[in-house]
Amino acid sequence: MISLIEPIQSKNSLGDDGILFVRNDSIFDTMIKTPLLVASMIIVAALLPIQSSFSSPRDLDLIIYPDGTTHVSTEIEIDPFLTDYELNLFGNTIDNFVVIGNDEFLLDTDIIDDTALIQTFGFSVLKIEYDIHDLVSKQGKLWTFSLDSPSDFKLLLPQNSAIVGMTNLPINMEIVNDQNQLTLSSGKTEIDYFFSTSTNPIPDTKTEIDYFSYVIVGVIIVIILIGFTIFVRSKQKNSNSIEQIPTSQKNVISNIETIFKLKPDLREDDKELVKFIFNNGGEALESELRKKFLQPRTTMWRAVKRLEREGVIEIEKKDLQNLVKLRKSMEEEK
Amino acid sequence: MKKLALFTIILLIFGTISPSLVNHAYGQNDPGILLRIATHADNQIVNQLNGVYGNEIPNNIKILYQKGHFAVESLDESLSNNNIEKAKQDFLLAMNSFMQISRTIFQSSEKVVVVTVSEKSNQSISSEIDRLEKYVKSLENISKKYDIDVESDFIKIHDLIQELRAEINNVNEVHAGIKKIKVLLDSIKNDIRESASKQSNAIKDFFEKFLIQIDQKLLEAKNLGRDEVEITKADQLILEIRELLSKNQINSAKILYSELEIVLKNIGISVKIT
Repeated sequence: MISLIEPIQSKNSLGDDGILFVRNDSIFDTMIKTPLLVASMIIVAALLPIQSSFSSPRDLDLIIYPDGTTHVSTEIEIDPFLTDYELNLFGNTIDNFVVIGNDEFLLDTDIIDDTALIQTFGFSVLKIEYDIHDLVSKQGKLWTFSLDSPSDFKLLLPQNSAIVGMTNLPINMEIVNDQNQLTLSSGKTEIDYFFSTSTNPIPDTKTEIDYFSYVIVGVIIVIILIGFTIFVRSKQKNSNSIEQIPTSQKNVISNIETIFKLKPDLREDDKELVKFIFNNGGEALESELRKKFLQPRTTMWRAVKRLEREGVIEIEKKDLQNLVKLRKSMEEEK
Repeated sequence: MKKLALFTIILLIFGTISPSLVNHAYGQNDPGILLRIATHADNQIVNQLNGVYGNEIPNNIKILYQKGHFAVESLDESLSNNNIEKAKQDFLLAMNSFMQISRTIFQSSEKVVVVTVSEKSNQSISSEIDRLEKYVKSLENISKKYDIDVESDFIKIHDLIQELRAEINNVNEVHAGIKKIKVLLDSIKNDIRESASKQSNAIKDFFEKFLIQIDQKLLEAKNLGRDEVEITKADQLILEIRELLSKNQINSAKILYSELEIVLKNIGISVKIT
């Protein structure tokens, strides 16, 4: 008969041989400090896109000289288990070809038409530089740059050059040493330009605000704030579901002056504590009080104990913290 | 807490997929650039039209210009309305029209505008010297990493470059100077390679790993009854490569490796480590 009315919790906790098993859900929760873990995950998640977007697998920079020859510099990642790498060049009239592996190691190359065979032998990053005469053609005074690029690239146009035709959409534009530098997307690009002494670089966009970056940062901040709000709300909900006393207490203790009349000997700093608790809906965590009044743990603990002795407050345990509540029976005493 | 965990998972997924979003969005960075480039091109075309034709602009060019100019105006409007897709179309239409105009202008005015040979050469030579100097600087930076005595060569090259700049009008002299510099640079490059090969453990390590793999594949080939003469040849080459590597003769090892590659192909062994 006794066993029938035995609480389920006790049933689960006691083994056959009488060993006491303790439910480990809350202990686990407390030990790994879930909120801390979740907060760390949020930070990591928020940083992920930033970190990834900064890393670029391939850079391609081109400089057009006034005679139409173009300097190409690119950095590529390759399979370190290859003995050689075949690089497709943008043409076959190449000069000053240099390939550097990791640690500034000068690599051997062999150029056949528009292909360079690079002996990589275990290197994973190649820095390649060369001059090419095939990318710019000239008709009268008009120069035409043509390229079918496998990736986005930066193009520095010669000084005093004026763009008068373009078949690709520029991503960005900057002024570098009085020269226009365009960032263009991959694919076929043709740009017509001519030289003019009256030509000034197109106004710089560098000084303008990069609204998109701000939007990204803003979105991340908003996501973090939403997460924080959800976290706080879920915490509040939990406390509400556990404790329904504060709302009822708020109804009972209607006037702070009544408490002070009943306890005229309260210290001024203790009165401040009581006022804060009263304004906080009749209850506050001890940690909140410490933060509010900037008091050390022991000082606040003594103050709280003092108020408990005076019968003004009562202390309850909530999530391993001290919840300080104004006593319900205070007004009844009057 | 469950909600929070769910939110975090969503955030992590967002974090994983967002780089592609960022790259895509970067393509639309500051659409104002489009208007600036198009307006600038429009002004340049007007200047050119006035300079070449004055008040007698041919009809076909007039029509093209109007098309381009209207597209610039439409681009401005599209940007004001935040219609980026329309703005892109307007930009490409405007720049295409201006491109056609400029090609027509410069083709027809080619006979009129005379570019003197000396001007052309000066510009070209000056650019060539600039590029050569860039190349020299890049080799100079590389050489600093190695223990080679080429400082005096670089001083000599820099002096030669200064001389070339001073004598830019003397085309023959400049070309001879450039050739001289290139010979010096080739010699420096060889010195760098030689020194680099001695210092590089990375290549030696790579070769060692690679040769172990090839040894295993040769054993398998033997068991499969492949051409024994070729297999012996390959074994011999591997021995020689190892010996050269132990003596730090990387370049010679590389040459032998090329031979080994051919022998391996004959045996039917793939040389790529996977």
